[in-house]
Amino acid sequence: MSGTGVLVLVAALVLTAAAAWWVRARDGRVRAAEEETVGGPTAVLEGLGVRPGDADLTVVQFSTAFCGPCRTTRARLQHLESTRPGLAYVHVDAESHLDAVRELGVRRTPTLFYLDRRGRLLGRSSGAPRPDELTAVVDAHTGAPS
Amino acid sequence: MSQSPARVVDVRGPRFAAWVTSAVLAVVLLTGSGPLVAVQAVVFAVGAAAGLRHAPYAVLFRTLVAPRLGPAREREPEAPLRFAQLVGFVFAAVGAAGYLLGAPLLGAVATGLALVAALLNAATGFCLGCELYLTVRRVRPARTT
Repeated sequence: MSGTGVLVLVAALVLTAAAAWWVRARDGRVRAAEEETVGGPTAVLEGLGVRPGDADLTVVQFSTAFCGPCRTTRARLQHLESTRPGLAYVHVDAESHLDAVRELGVRRTPTLFYLDRRGRLLGRSSGAPRPDELTAVVDAHTGAPS
Repeated sequence: MSQSPARVVDVRGPRFAAWVTSAVLAVVLLTGSGPLVAVQAVVFAVGAAAGLRHAPYAVLFRTLVAPRLGPAREREPEAPLRFAQLVGFVFAAVGAAGYLLGAPLLGAVATGLALVAALLNAATGFCLGCELYLTVRRVRPARTT
């Protein structure tokens, strides 16, 4: 039995519990956008071909090939898009747009940006959102019954 | 790195593998065994290089566990998992080097970090190695394909 090993094992267990709590608390939570500035997130997103004027709510998702939850989130949003006329969904491959990724401060995937019809950034979220919360956010901004 | 997006695996396989990995790494920490963490490094390397189909714990899952569980209901792409195996390999390799080359503290810390990633994956499904992918890509500008 190694004393150091036992200590590291205990530290690893505590760290894992803390990380699990953090992930659970934060994953998919929509955070309000900071004060919009010229050349801010909306401009960067429009540079990628996003047209917020086309729908009540536009959700832009950044994904990578090495991201399991991205696929689930994408499928959910595609389903919501087909059932909520006010929702437009745009999928961006983060790897092909690394400049935008840096400008927008995308650190994890999936990262989602929520834009209203006037191009205002309503908020963003990182990690896979829980299905009910995602539906609630979409319904709140597309006027669909929740 | 070549990728075939069509390749998918039963989601329960990697979760099972993560539990086995966590147990192995915990035993490594308790015994301070360099050879055991070296074996785990090889397990990671096989998964990363040859694909999950050939990863030892995945084979174990397919032959021993899956037949008792019934058909797979959910599948996930293999590419993120393979990348995560590569990240796991780096930590396990550093851990093995530490233990075997007379730096047991380094060995223990590297093994402990690998344990955090494995246990987090086993318990919550969160894939730390997958999350690191974009972080790595952000600092490495040019695409090499």
